Amino acid sequence: MADTLKNSTAYDVDAVRRDFPILSEKVYGKPLVFLDSGASAQKPRQVIDAMSACMQRQYSNVHRGAHYMSAATTDEHEKARETVQKFLNAEHSEEIIFTANVTMSINLVAHAYGRAFLKAGDEVIISEMEHHANIVPWQMLAEATGVVLKIAPIEDDGSFLLEKFAALLTERTKLVAITHCSNVLGTRVPAKELIRLAHDAGAKVLIDGAQGIVHGPVDVRDLDVDFYGFTAHKLYGPSGLGILYGKLDLLESMPPFLGGGEMIDKVSFAGTTFAKPPFRFEAGTPAIVETIGLMAAIDYVTDIGHDAIKAHEQSLLDYATERLSAVDGVRLIGTAPDKAAIVSFLVDGHHPLDIATILDRQGVACRVGHHCAEPLMDRLGVIGTVRASFAMYNTLAEVDVLAEAIEKAKRMLS
Amino acid sequence: MARAEYEEFAETLDALDDEDMRFEYILDLAKAQDREDFPEEWKTEANLMHGCMSRVWIVHDKDGQTHHFKGQSEAAIVKGLVHMMTRTFSGLTADEIAGFSVDDVKRLNLGALTFQRQVGMMAMLKHIQKLAGRAPAANEA
Repeated sequence: MADTLKNSTAYDVDAVRRDFPILSEKVYGKPLVFLDSGASAQKPRQVIDAMSACMQRQYSNVHRGAHYMSAATTDEHEKARETVQKFLNAEHSEEIIFTANVTMSINLVAHAYGRAFLKAGDEVIISEMEHHANIVPWQMLAEATGVVLKIAPIEDDGSFLLEKFAALLTERTKLVAITHCSNVLGTRVPAKELIRLAHDAGAKVLIDGAQGIVHGPVDVRDLDVDFYGFTAHKLYGPSGLGILYGKLDLLESMPPFLGGGEMIDKVSFAGTTFAKPPFRFEAGTPAIVETIGLMAAIDYVTDIGHDAIKAHEQSLLDYATERLSAVDGVRLIGTAPDKAAIVSFLVDGHHPLDIATILDRQGVACRVGHHCAEPLMDRLGVIGTVRASFAMYNTLAEVDVLAEAIEKAKRMLS
Repeated sequence: MARAEYEEFAETLDALDDEDMRFEYILDLAKAQDREDFPEEWKTEANLMHGCMSRVWIVHDKDGQTHHFKGQSEAAIVKGLVHMMTRTFSGLTADEIAGFSVDDVKRLNLGALTFQRQVGMMAMLKHIQKLAGRAPAANEA
């Protein structure tokens, strides 16, 4: 079945796979079928080589050296910022802040924007399908300031209920923090419409793009989003590096989040003045090698074509949905009409951990558990799921391996 | 006595060189565990072993100097491992329980089964040693 669909992809997937050294590894003597890219994606040779070249041939701390290596490394580091700016279609490179991960990007907004501009009784809206990273910072803000947290509901199939979200908007709503794409269900949130509605109500919007930006192009100006967070390691780049996009006027109005070196204008014991964005929010030495790795990852994604990747992943999603639905006892969790290639499922009568363990033995790497979304598990009435999350390098044949591995797990556990 | 049972688990797992058969052996142990009495009211928060990917309950009792354990899990493979651990340690003194080491768990070669299971077994060993009043040695914590 997969063979007949092989040419439906938008680019040469086999050539892409050759760029990812780890994909030719074996686990337990079996070819690795990596379906856990939603947790962290594998890295192409181009990223590995760029980071290696940086450390081997051109490395120094940035923004401070009066020597060639520092100037050259600073140029590359800032070029990475401009690469992210273009990738997001942001207006200014100063709108791109390097953080450690999306969690830190969201915490930055909750802390620097939330504590400066939100007060007791103001409302923040999140949704039922948020990752803990987009729940806990707002709970902490609520605890500290008296801000009220409102939860936008989802449909049983995982669809985002835009009308019910709109009904939550009031003159007290000051901030909306919603995922672009659910890490468990794959549901895409209609971000542009949501942002328009929130703006009409006078609220700012933060979009958690950890999954969203991986599975399709993002244009922050077209979205008119106020803050957009994502992470390098899910976008085929290195771990340890997150991004926060923020509209420049908002960033300029915000106090710093962390204090230290790099983020200051002038320091004396009488007082300190802070640098302008983005440096105001980048205390300490940044993840220098990682920004250069992210630049290579973005170049790689751009070369393949973000739309082409989206099209390929759609074919993977369609085939996985069809193939897994045909396996007796498999229940897909999350079947919204508009979703990315993330397939959560359960097998009747079997604990997801047992299924995932037997898949693992067959070389199929899936994630199992609550996926850092315990409130969503409660909403869906499940203890957890097995999650197959696809990436640009996965093949239709790997979907077959997954389906056959589930059949085998069922046989062994029955 | 219980040590002999542990030897049997280890030798059986060692003798089974086919991975599917090793899984099936552990699943058989899970079925044996299901035949043991474990009332629903024992599945309390207090009996939960935290940090597991599936819920595991361990009930501990003491008869003179010897300790007794019963356990249950939602997941079949974990349940098989719970069977091995509760059988191994029931009827032993705290000192005997403390005498088990991470190396004993490694001997089961569960890492060949899946790495996660070996890590889970080590966590279970430490949990049982803690219940028996013998915290694991610092270098194993």
